[in-house]
Amino acid sequence: MALRNAATFLGQRLAGAAELGISAAKSAGGEALTNAFVTEGVRHASNQAVKQRIRAIKNIGKITKAMKMVAASKMKNAQVAVEQSRGIVNPFVRLFGDHPGVEGKVGVTVAVTSDRGLCGGLNSNITKYTKTLLKLGSASAEDVETKLVSIGDKGRSQLMRAEPRMFSHTFAETYKIRVTFAQASIIAEELLKSNPEVVKVLFNKFRSAISFKPTLATVLTPEALEKQLTEPTGNRLDAYEIEATHERSDVLRDLAEFQLAATLYNAMLENNCSEHASRMSAMENSTKSAGEMLGKLTLEYNRKRQATITTELIEIIAGASALMDA
Amino acid sequence: MSLQISILTPERPFWNGQADEIILPTETGEMGVLKNHAPIITGLDVGAMLIRGGQASKDEWNSYAIMGGFALVKQNIVTILANEAVSAENINPEEAKEAFEFAKNNLEKAEGIKEKVEANFAYKRAKARYQVVKVLKKI
Repeated sequence: MALRNAATFLGQRLAGAAELGISAAKSAGGEALTNAFVTEGVRHASNQAVKQRIRAIKNIGKITKAMKMVAASKMKNAQVAVEQSRGIVNPFVRLFGDHPGVEGKVGVTVAVTSDRGLCGGLNSNITKYTKTLLKLGSASAEDVETKLVSIGDKGRSQLMRAEPRMFSHTFAETYKIRVTFAQASIIAEELLKSNPEVVKVLFNKFRSAISFKPTLATVLTPEALEKQLTEPTGNRLDAYEIEATHERSDVLRDLAEFQLAATLYNAMLENNCSEHASRMSAMENSTKSAGEMLGKLTLEYNRKRQATITTELIEIIAGASALMDA
Repeated sequence: MSLQISILTPERPFWNGQADEIILPTETGEMGVLKNHAPIITGLDVGAMLIRGGQASKDEWNSYAIMGGFALVKQNIVTILANEAVSAENINPEEAKEAFEFAKNNLEKAEGIKEKVEANFAYKRAKARYQVVKVLKKI
């Protein structure tokens, strides 16, 4: 009712203005008018669609923000565990040395990945390096047999497609409750069943909250270790006497198994921590872009809304002025 | 203060310190390590490890329960890599005694290889913890 009165009043004022003024206003608003007339049928529907889109994006923004906070808190917990687990890997490296270039007759390559996605480029990084490592291995020697093992579902899905023949084991849901040394021991035992000479473990080392580098840890079993002794860069194992009820090889084999378990434990913890840190930054970027999209869409929605009101007003006024003229 | 000792477990570095003498529970029996011991690698059984000397005094013994692992000795540096390690102070004496009795009974009642092996392992663990707490109480 009030709009009607305002329109009549405005119509009177417009009627009082010069003919030129009216025609000018008509031509200026004409384009908008024709546009409005053209899209009028869809106008209300598309604005509704925009409104729905705004709502959806707002929800997504809330979810990603919550995911980021969860990942941040999980990362803090994991960081403590990671730093403490690094201590036990060092004595092994001091004793046996680090020999990433060693290739044995039978080798096992372990790719440590995450179970869930939405964590940035972590897992594709690891699979990229794994594929390169496998190519290097098969290129260097003819009769090298390599088995591929994946810890984590993401690695399985990506590597199964790439190298289905080499694939031997998958371990999933290791991070579900907590990574324990017992888990790592079981995995190590399983890996050593095929009597490999070299075990290579690829994981993301947690350097800081924004830096995770793919790292390769090499563990040699006793056969390869004995071979290494004769080389100039070999290990200093011979400096030690070995005291045991059984023979030296038994003690060495147990020691190598322990080293593999400790290395795997450390690798899984580091990868877990890197996963949370990566997810945190991915979700942060998500929230930021959701916010930007939201801003743009809100502007568009408001502009459309105002355009609707303006065209309605113009129609009413034009109608009222026509009435006045008549 | 002649030996540099570090006890490492997979979860965390357990203890770092200096001592005069250390007694290791190896698979062939208890082995003592003094200054200038020959370089040696040995496997450790589940048992009590005793360390003499340290910050307190020359004759004071500290004990730790080690659940298996390895020991590396070289140039007066002793590195213990253990699956699990518990310090004597952190063990409740009554609880340890009860667990020990319980495990002993289980071992006697166990039938079948799998049960026997599990019961034996639990018994060794409980025994190690009990021994460690006994040593502490005596001293």
